[in-house]
Amino acid sequence: MTANDVNKAANKATDNAKPDDLVISRGLRAPRSALWRAWSEPELLKQWWCPKPWTTEVRAFDLRAGGAFHTFMQGPDGGVSDNPGCFLEVVPQSRLVFTSMLTGGWRPATPWLGFTAIVTMTDEGAGSRYIATVMHPDEATRKRHEQMGFFEGWDTVITQLDDFASALR
Amino acid sequence: MANYTVTVSEVFQALADPTRCAIVSALVGGAQTVSRLAEPFDMALPSFLKHLTILERSGLIRTSKLGRTRTCELVPARLSQAEQWIAEQRAVWESRSDRMVDFVERLHQEEQIHDSKRRK
Repeated sequence: MTANDVNKAANKATDNAKPDDLVISRGLRAPRSALWRAWSEPELLKQWWCPKPWTTEVRAFDLRAGGAFHTFMQGPDGGVSDNPGCFLEVVPQSRLVFTSMLTGGWRPATPWLGFTAIVTMTDEGAGSRYIATVMHPDEATRKRHEQMGFFEGWDTVITQLDDFASALR
Repeated sequence: MANYTVTVSEVFQALADPTRCAIVSALVGGAQTVSRLAEPFDMALPSFLKHLTILERSGLIRTSKLGRTRTCELVPARLSQAEQWIAEQRAVWESRSDRMVDFVERLHQEEQIHDSKRRK
């Protein structure tokens, strides 16, 4: 796949996005190679994957289509978030697709949170462009999650904009 | 009700914290007193109150005081559950992307410094 193809793929991913899909885009001064390192080296990935004081343990990182991608996160108050998954597509320096709907070896799974993420990296000026498209199951599945007490699981979900952003500014 | 001019990013920021997500989740079941709500959280009350203040400012919850008891409830109109779900997901990915970008920029700078040292 050439860089141009990847560009087209990135556009396609964005074009096909449904209103509920998340499309997250960032321009970077750093080149694509640095972006790729942050995503493809588990030792680096775990440094930014979840917000401090939560920590990430990379339990499996088999970077190939069908390879396991499993992160396990722990919070200071004993909260944990276990996220097994599977890589679907790996194009070095340009594209990574992974899902929580399968585990290693394409084994079907019923995750607490179903999603597929498409991460693309392209050149832009002297730097690069990062686009993540995150797709979730439809409204009906979401409702089922809610009925199953999905919201109670939320205390283990990790997000914390403030700390990291303000510590770095 | 207070007239709020809150941006979407403030709502995301409010939800982009595990404790505040848990508070919102706990309130889905109905209004609760602050002391009852704080019980499962292993943190000092002032820290807990700070989280409540951020949630209240975002418009996601409101509090009212009756005698010495303060009660919290979700503001139903603020976000439907489905919207809240999407907002929570977005908050996770936006904050993760911010952390990743900061990390990559630093990584790149370090690589450049390393390269220039090697050239000398």
